[in-house]
Amino acid sequence: MSDVDDKVKPLRDPARRGFLGKAGGLAAAVGGLAASSAANASIAQDQAPAALAAKNGIEPFWGVHQGGITTPQQEHTYFAAFDLVTAKRADVIALLNAWTEAASRLTRGDTAAALGDNPEAAPGDSGDALGLPPSRLTITFGFGPGLFSSNGVDRYGLAARRPAALVDLPRFNGDQLVPEKTGGDLCIQACANDAQVAFHAVRQLARLAYGTAVIKWVQTGFQSNPAGGGTPRNLMGFKDGTNNPSQRDPKLMDQFVWAGDEGPAWMKNGTYTVVRRIRITLEHWDKMEVGFQEQVVGRHKYTGAPLGKHKEFDVADLDAKDADGNSIVPDNAHMRLSAAQTNGGAQILRRGYSYNDGANFYIERWPPWRQEMEYDAGLFFVAHQRDPRTGFIKINHNLAVGDIMNQFITHVGSGIFACPPGARAGSFIGAGLFEGLMT
Amino acid sequence: MLPQLHNKPVKAAARKVMGGALVGALAALSMPAAHADEPKGFLETVHKHVTLVNTVPDNGDQNPYALVVAPVSAGSIQKDDVLIDNFNNAANLQGLGSTIVDYNPTTKALTKFAQLPRDLPECPGGIGLSTAMTMLKTGWVIVGSTPSNDGTTTTKGAGCLIVLDPHGKVASVIGGPNVNDPWGNMAVVDKGDTATLFVSNSGFGVGSPNDKSGPDGEPPVIKESTILRIELAIADGKAPVVTSQTVVAGGFGEQADKGVFLIGPTGLALGKDDKLYVSDALGNRVTEIADASTRTTSGGVGREVTKDGLLQRPLAMVTAPNGHLLVTNGLNGKVVEIDPDSGKQIYAQWIDTDKAQTPPGNGDLFGIVMTPAGDGFYYVEDDVNTLVLAK
Repeated sequence: MSDVDDKVKPLRDPARRGFLGKAGGLAAAVGGLAASSAANASIAQDQAPAALAAKNGIEPFWGVHQGGITTPQQEHTYFAAFDLVTAKRADVIALLNAWTEAASRLTRGDTAAALGDNPEAAPGDSGDALGLPPSRLTITFGFGPGLFSSNGVDRYGLAARRPAALVDLPRFNGDQLVPEKTGGDLCIQACANDAQVAFHAVRQLARLAYGTAVIKWVQTGFQSNPAGGGTPRNLMGFKDGTNNPSQRDPKLMDQFVWAGDEGPAWMKNGTYTVVRRIRITLEHWDKMEVGFQEQVVGRHKYTGAPLGKHKEFDVADLDAKDADGNSIVPDNAHMRLSAAQTNGGAQILRRGYSYNDGANFYIERWPPWRQEMEYDAGLFFVAHQRDPRTGFIKINHNLAVGDIMNQFITHVGSGIFACPPGARAGSFIGAGLFEGLMT
Repeated sequence: MLPQLHNKPVKAAARKVMGGALVGALAALSMPAAHADEPKGFLETVHKHVTLVNTVPDNGDQNPYALVVAPVSAGSIQKDDVLIDNFNNAANLQGLGSTIVDYNPTTKALTKFAQLPRDLPECPGGIGLSTAMTMLKTGWVIVGSTPSNDGTTTTKGAGCLIVLDPHGKVASVIGGPNVNDPWGNMAVVDKGDTATLFVSNSGFGVGSPNDKSGPDGEPPVIKESTILRIELAIADGKAPVVTSQTVVAGGFGEQADKGVFLIGPTGLALGKDDKLYVSDALGNRVTEIADASTRTTSGGVGREVTKDGLLQRPLAMVTAPNGHLLVTNGLNGKVVEIDPDSGKQIYAQWIDTDKAQTPPGNGDLFGIVMTPAGDGFYYVEDDVNTLVLAK
């Protein structure tokens, strides 16, 4: 069976990519991938099958770690934060079970649940992704502070199990956080190479949460990778992520990203994720001299090289001076203030996306205080780390106080989440948190 | 050839984005007329600009305005500390800032000296701390409020002057019909048991920035601003009491403005022979009021000392040890040195060269105050909420 077949065959419980929804095992899913790839290749004959398979393929769901953290970055994201509305721990457990099962299906290109054949019942999936490939969908779940206590109330008997590293983020200088883009008791980040697949996934999961959790805020994002490979560019036109620790280096990931034995056992091999919705005043930025832009960032715009260097991955010389004794990389440049060397070796894994949510009326918060219609666009910053206290909080404190880029960016949304380790098939995401509390 | 005195080969010990070679040409003194090799003024003795601290307190207030150097140690304040108030709140709305922070140059620590309540009886419109601030030798701190509820003059109130004890607690409020948006930096004669404050009031008759009734559709210029002299008596251990109020000057232009809240007379500085100098922002000039401490009537806008030239919307003003006036420009990042006797503009130094604004430093400068030793000055950079020392 192929995707092409789906287009002519009456829908009767079809799997998204053309094999029966009842096929639930990993082996079946892998088999499905091959069939799907072949079908797509026949449709898009001008695309190399291998490349297409890589773009459309399946990312594993079950495993030691959740997907979507060190997974090579897909091109689209759909992030949703939820507030829990139930008073019962059992409801939370049931939701996480349902989410885990549905996510495992969705990531392999299946429907969230079997569609069913009862014409008087709502189908098990909205159906808008039928026929679409898995698109390397990953679904990453996180627990916000509100799962452990909300307004001082320990709703689910979990307060004592809150990891010390899951701190409430402090207020940073310049923060203009709005409640409708901040916080959340739970979060889901779907990443995929197809925006529709990512939204479809979160939509199905949100539907499963009815009565237990409600959406608090969402954010979409995009990040197209250069055709020739390499570091993608953000909306400021600069390469973003050059200084990231390599996701391909397990030792670095263990050192900076994955929680170890220092915290609760249920978080081991998980990570702590900070998200920030950072609006960039693109109109203002676009008028700046490129030389000034480079001084603000601390890098050459087109090569991505640190100022004073020639290649993107040349090591920045933060001690270098010009003939007058002035720093080559300015003291208040973004790259300097965020560099590991400036932060006692602190590193985080940034996995952000650009966003563009149209335009709104804004009053700029720097002279000369323009008041006009401007893009609501910027960076949906996503950073994973072993401990936010020595990661994002430490680094962002420096940036919030001294970064000259603050004249162009404003943090308007925020969230912090403990993303537990991956799940074994038959278990559910975050099961360890509830050990001994399953009733 | 004119001497090229780069004001900030270093804005700090090392180059920052806004300083250094990138803007070296801009950073040079602008000298309309000078003779080589002869020291002409104070600014050429200033070589280094060091960013000292980010001035934003815990509550997120933004936009540092007034600067005061503490003349004495009192309460939580140490002598020579720099007090800085904030005009904007955390949401960056102008006229809602409510905090005064204290920077200790020795420890380099920034602490919150005072957080005023949003509303105070006798202070119409609430609290939005302006550039009018002083600390008396008796330890009392007096600060002006030019308040708003929405960040614009649409909702402005008349405000007041607030007297704080040296622990930052409100002791009393000075208001009344002569006070309407005390705006610019004060000039002060402090004799201990008495003190004289000169305060510019820039709110009389100012309406909304959306009022388009000016000749070109802009908010109208109202010529009702005043300079008020307030005499205080300070009994031992008691809060200052107002003994008299006299309008000594008036008729300067004032105008509501969407971007900068309002534009009006801002800088006040005392010179020799009892002369009071006023920076008239809209008139783009500095004027002189004679017999400032004794006159019983308004001197109007006074005698024009200098106009235009290097001035680009003059704001806060201070007297340098050589008797010259240093005035910050609102529309570029320059400070201009003026010989008030001759009316000559000596030169200007581009102290804020932040290219994020056009021209560099546009809208960034406001407060300025001399160091206790008189060997430099402190100023604020509103673009990045910092206190800078130039010396």
